[in-house]
Amino acid sequence: MNVILQTIRLQIRNSWVRPMFRFCLIVNPIMNTFFLYMMFLNSKETNFLAYVVFGSGLMALWGCICFSSIGDINRERYMGTLPLIYASPTSFGYIIFGKIVGNTILSMSAIVISYFTARIITRDRIQIGSPGYLVISLILAMISFSAIALCIAYLLMISRKTTLYMNLLEIPIIMLCGFSYPIEILPQWAQVIAKLIPITWVIKLIRMSISGVISVREYCKMFFISTISIVVCILFTWWLYIIIDRQIRVKATLEVS
Amino acid sequence: MNVVEVKNLQRKYETKKGWVRPKKNSVNTVRGLSFCVQKGEVFGLLGQNGAGKTTTIKMMITLLAPSAGTCKVLGLDVEKESKKIRKKINFIFGGEMGVYRRLSARDNLLYFASLYQLPSSMIDQRVQELFELVELTDKADCLVETYSKGMIQRLQIARGLINDPEIIFMDEPTVGLDPIGAKMLRGIILNMRDKGRTVILTTHYLYEADELCDRIAIINHGNMIALDTPENLKKKHATKDHQTLEDVYIKLIESSNSEFKEGENR
Repeated sequence: MNVILQTIRLQIRNSWVRPMFRFCLIVNPIMNTFFLYMMFLNSKETNFLAYVVFGSGLMALWGCICFSSIGDINRERYMGTLPLIYASPTSFGYIIFGKIVGNTILSMSAIVISYFTARIITRDRIQIGSPGYLVISLILAMISFSAIALCIAYLLMISRKTTLYMNLLEIPIIMLCGFSYPIEILPQWAQVIAKLIPITWVIKLIRMSISGVISVREYCKMFFISTISIVVCILFTWWLYIIIDRQIRVKATLEVS
Repeated sequence: MNVVEVKNLQRKYETKKGWVRPKKNSVNTVRGLSFCVQKGEVFGLLGQNGAGKTTTIKMMITLLAPSAGTCKVLGLDVEKESKKIRKKINFIFGGEMGVYRRLSARDNLLYFASLYQLPSSMIDQRVQELFELVELTDKADCLVETYSKGMIQRLQIARGLINDPEIIFMDEPTVGLDPIGAKMLRGIILNMRDKGRTVILTTHYLYEADELCDRIAIINHGNMIALDTPENLKKKHATKDHQTLEDVYIKLIESSNSEFKEGENR
């Protein structure tokens, strides 16, 4: 536990000192909020500000995760610290977990930045139907984002083309998981893929909480699906970890070639 | 008592190029090394660049999986019991890599102390002792990015000693160190030997190997070409005009290179 806490602490400090991370965390949600606001301005959505705030906040959060949590593998590789942490007695899984949780906690502040940007632009209040449910949904979102980042981070451990893959991942996830629109407007085949990603379900929960939970049963059903998808993702990541832990040593991908 | 037992150790690097019909390429870096290291010994691995020294060390510290053969560290198999080995060993790689540059040196050491699961009650004291040992106490709270090459190398040494390892592996540890820093490191190595710790090091500085090592293994093209004490190596291979360890080393490498070329031509 101490190792995870130390890693979270180190990760937050390490991420914050990087200008690119600060750009992703601060400037990105401000710009996203502004552009989404312009796009939604003439829509027929009544509570569109909520879409703008959470859509842009989550987009920035995912951006930070892609370029920091996942990109960190590459950064550590270039700094030469990846083999050092890998060959320490602490399970490498705990270290990567700590890094991702640290980043996700810090990156969640993008939603707060989006909120204040929207307040400044519109001078309007955002109506949240069920604030209590929203808090629960946001906690689940944090777990969900961490789980998916963990899975991708492990996958990228066996490749040195991390930068290429993290660029490829950012936009498709934003589009598929419906960060700023309901996924029902996507083609059928895309909806099938979207439903396999845990993030899609927590975004539905967030949206439901903003509109106001009319049926608790419906919320619980969605919460259950979200939790199951997160558990499946974690189990898949665990399986991946066992395989990749060996492959790392066979393929020698911990260092820059 | 042997703390490291290496038998017919081999390592092959395989690379693939292309997506549709990938072309496979493999390079044998270590081709059947066998040797033992005794407890409390300073053991030197010498060889040219690309001879397989670093790869051998990386297999011993559980960073790489051997392609064939066995490697046991403290009686534990590097493939199957890597977690148990890691608690008892540590390693230092030469150069400026392997530190968090945007953190202070103290934060670096505190983090590695937690990774090596030191009891929290003794972490601060241990970190302070190490700063004193590598003479970085005054700069302990400065960001590592403000450090010189030699200071980073000293920090690496401190990191490598954080868990008071039973065996320490050093891969060209004096690279980038000034003469005073290098002397300090040699002092640390000898002090570790006096405490019964085992040191396995690679270096290109032959006078350093001669001064420090109890036994030396010379490897070339992944094969062992000599293994003995520095004195015996000099006795066996020195000639009237060539009497230093450097002379012996060059003679052995040159004769091994010509044998290797002959073998390739056949």
